[in-house]
Amino acid sequence: MSGRSVRRVLATLSGALLLLGTVAAAQGQGQDDARPGPGEYAAILGDCVACHTAPGGEPFAGGLKLATPLGDIVATNITPSEAGIGNYTLEQFDAAVRRGVRADGKRLYPAMPYTAYAKVSDEDIAAMYEWFMNEVPPSDYQPPATELPFPFSVRLSLAVWNFMFLDDEPFTPDPSQTEQWNRGAYLTQGLTHCGTCHTPRNLLMAEQQSRFLAGGAVGPWEAPDITSNPRTGIGEWSIEELVEYMKTGNTPRSQAAGPMAEVVDHSLRYATEADLEAIAVYLQTVPASAGVQHERAVHEWGEAGNNLAAIRGERLPGDPRDWTGAQLYDAYCAACHRASGQGTADGVMPALFNNTATGREYTNNLALVILNGIHWVGEGHDMHMPGFAHELTDLQIATLSNHVLEMYGNPDARVTIEQVAALRGGTAQAQGQPNLLRLTRLGIAAGFVLVLAVVWLMLRRKLIRT
Amino acid sequence: MAEELSADFVVVGSGICGALVAMVLAQRGASVIMLEAGPRVERAQLVANFRNSPRRSDWMSPYPFSPWAPHPVYRPEDNEHLVQAGPYPYPAEYIRMVGGSTWHWAALAWRNVPNDMRMHSLYGVGVDWPFDYDELDPYYQWAEELMGVAGDGDEHPESPRSQPYPMEPVAEPWAMRRIRERLAGTYRVASNPVARNSRTFDRRPACCGSNNCQPICPVDAQYHGGIAAAAAEAAGVRLISSAVVYKLEHDSQDRIVAAHYYDPERNSYRVTGGTFVVAANGIETPRLLLMSTSDRFPSGIANRTDMVGRHLMDHPSTSLTFDADEDLWLGRGPQSPSSISALRDGPFREDYSGYRLDFTNISRVDSTTQRLLLEGVYGPEFERRLRHSAAREMSVKTVLEVLPRPENRIALSSRKDALGLPRPQAHYDIDTYTRRGAENALWHFRRIAELMGGSNLRFSDENAFANNQHICGTTSMGEDPNISVCDGWGRTHDHDNLFLVGTGVLPTAGTANSTLTAVAVALRSVDAMLPAEQGSAAEQRGS
Repeated sequence: MSGRSVRRVLATLSGALLLLGTVAAAQGQGQDDARPGPGEYAAILGDCVACHTAPGGEPFAGGLKLATPLGDIVATNITPSEAGIGNYTLEQFDAAVRRGVRADGKRLYPAMPYTAYAKVSDEDIAAMYEWFMNEVPPSDYQPPATELPFPFSVRLSLAVWNFMFLDDEPFTPDPSQTEQWNRGAYLTQGLTHCGTCHTPRNLLMAEQQSRFLAGGAVGPWEAPDITSNPRTGIGEWSIEELVEYMKTGNTPRSQAAGPMAEVVDHSLRYATEADLEAIAVYLQTVPASAGVQHERAVHEWGEAGNNLAAIRGERLPGDPRDWTGAQLYDAYCAACHRASGQGTADGVMPALFNNTATGREYTNNLALVILNGIHWVGEGHDMHMPGFAHELTDLQIATLSNHVLEMYGNPDARVTIEQVAALRGGTAQAQGQPNLLRLTRLGIAAGFVLVLAVVWLMLRRKLIRT
Repeated sequence: MAEELSADFVVVGSGICGALVAMVLAQRGASVIMLEAGPRVERAQLVANFRNSPRRSDWMSPYPFSPWAPHPVYRPEDNEHLVQAGPYPYPAEYIRMVGGSTWHWAALAWRNVPNDMRMHSLYGVGVDWPFDYDELDPYYQWAEELMGVAGDGDEHPESPRSQPYPMEPVAEPWAMRRIRERLAGTYRVASNPVARNSRTFDRRPACCGSNNCQPICPVDAQYHGGIAAAAAEAAGVRLISSAVVYKLEHDSQDRIVAAHYYDPERNSYRVTGGTFVVAANGIETPRLLLMSTSDRFPSGIANRTDMVGRHLMDHPSTSLTFDADEDLWLGRGPQSPSSISALRDGPFREDYSGYRLDFTNISRVDSTTQRLLLEGVYGPEFERRLRHSAAREMSVKTVLEVLPRPENRIALSSRKDALGLPRPQAHYDIDTYTRRGAENALWHFRRIAELMGGSNLRFSDENAFANNQHICGTTSMGEDPNISVCDGWGRTHDHDNLFLVGTGVLPTAGTANSTLTAVAVALRSVDAMLPAEQGSAAEQRGS
């Protein structure tokens, strides 16, 4: 997602949360009888609301534009109305959710995570269908149609893609593992579709299952490695920490921001303790990502410290562009993250050292958080960091980020002015993401040449034989 | 001059009142130019100035004055921008920067009590307002929603409201809880309504208890004029900073046709417009009107009856400091969280001033350290006494009413500022009405100390009234031009297209910090500035 559409998502869903709000209130009071039924619960874990609700729009009525490297994909209306899925049978609903085929036979773009939902059980699909058809208020809103450039405008091409990449076998429990592990695997691979963001994609935008959860991208945001790798993943996290993170988005060594904050805000924090524990147990067994062995874990960099002695009593440069990182930190950050980056004692404002936010080599996420802040829309949550896009220039954000990285984080990581400019302008992509449109068009051209070559060879053979 | 400066509305002053009026005018489709004498300022610069200041307890130290648009500073030395004519000193503070004086405030957002607006008919002192409290209620609400006021209406029956506060109160600091609990049964201690976030609001964070609301909230949890000025610009207002308006020009029909301003190099510019709004605070607004002389108006614009600058009011304070018999640890949470409102109104106001009793929550560490160092205390004794005072010392102060008296006033001095403009001059005294109020409070001071198990009682000197920088009354509203400058809509009696907004227009001071009431009155004035068919601003808000 571009920065702009991330903000749009962040600003959205207050309407949708009217629905979820009742759940939140009930859970806040710890009343089991107000828990959502199985269909609603599955829809919450599937986080359908996140994409299928536009800012300020009716819940599940669609209209949210999901920026992809190919262009905007517009989420559809999935309320039980004429404009939505009111005429869908259970079988049609199932085909859309688990196989990416609409009632009219057309293919859905895999922005809809049907490759993950394919793992969802028949029971959960049926329960979700019941809930959507009977409990969700119908809306007649017609979202605009998705218009992607050629060849992606030809939805039939997705049939080929599905043939290559869609594993439509529902989840099969592993009898050698515990029931808890199997529940966790079922949720992670299926409903909560963690791999949609956290698994790297190949040139054709399909998840590389051999590198499951090894770290992917959502627009400019990097979705980190969450395999059992102790350095870059969650190998050193305890079950309790993982559960705390999914429930609150806030642990001393890592805080949810951007799209992950939305996931916690709209979905994971409504999950039962047992389900979060199951996901945590499963995540700890996901094979560690391969690759460079890092010197330290991403949550082990830095320590408390400050440069105050160097700046106190010094006249501030008149032009804020000349301010040092320490001066910027003192003015913008120190009130919450404290003078030495140690955060507050109660942990509400996190320390900046021993924190994945400053320990990774890729730095888009750090710069994006400074630009846009962290905003929650759900009720009962106050976690918040203001954004500074309106106050700080690209140069200042780069200077400040590099100060924070040097002082409290991975000193090899850098933020550049150009990077901040691209993130601010919404033109940035996460590192290593292919330019899918160009690649595919190249691929088609190459394929065309190949076909010609084959035809020519065959013709030649024929000619030679005759 | 390279370009013609002209707009439907010309607003002089970019403080909280001027900026919000400009914002609403622009939102309704008008073109607006807003002129600010001071420079633009970044919040972080102020935070950095504060953190870097060797004089942290001088709350004006982060706000240096500009040579071309000075505001009064008194420390380390008096820059004598506000000339004192006596007999009582009036060391007012305000800020000439984009955003104005609310960069620096405790964000107290009190409403008046209804009787504050009927002082003459009820108590035979002061004046009545040209409209009543109920008329102002929707504008108060609007102001509270724009500014993000946190409060609990049930705690404030003295100021009725038809809608709840937009935010629940900020968490009660421990010291205030203990004071409330120990005074219960004798005094009702209530949380102050404040323009400070108790939760995320307007994309600004909740108060995190830095305890430096003054001089500057470091996380922007507190509303201020800088936010209002940014909102005005976002709505399309053209803001010109470092533009010192020194003269309003009128035509033969007495309509204002232009505002003239100097840039810092004293180049002069002329800005024309349809309607003019002066929102330059209770001292600089009358100063500008008094400077704008012509053959037809030799004593200044809007001053035919010699009322401009008169009826200067503020809220003087007396205080009691003592040591409680338990640890309170002032300094956690915001600086001014709780008050007693019981003495703000009553039949006694015929004889002496009403007042609010305000409990400070400012950390005692800095003041105690300075005191002990002066006394030559050091070593283990220093630590013991610092710890004792930091834990136990507390203060209660009065916020006293002042009556509108014509002899208390802002006039022009013969002394000039750097641009050659006459400096403002304060004529001020504290009358027996206010002094009797202060005497009456002594009994309550003692009673509060008694209930807190107080020892080491230190009353402020009998003749020492601290000033609260609530500069009111100098361009007062009223129906009678002989005792007022503008009508109930802020329209000057002498000039159809000249409006005044800000604390200067408030006819009585009451015991409420003046900002919220000034903003509500300013928003109400927008209704008179726009053509009638556009309807009431309060009804249209949010459009």
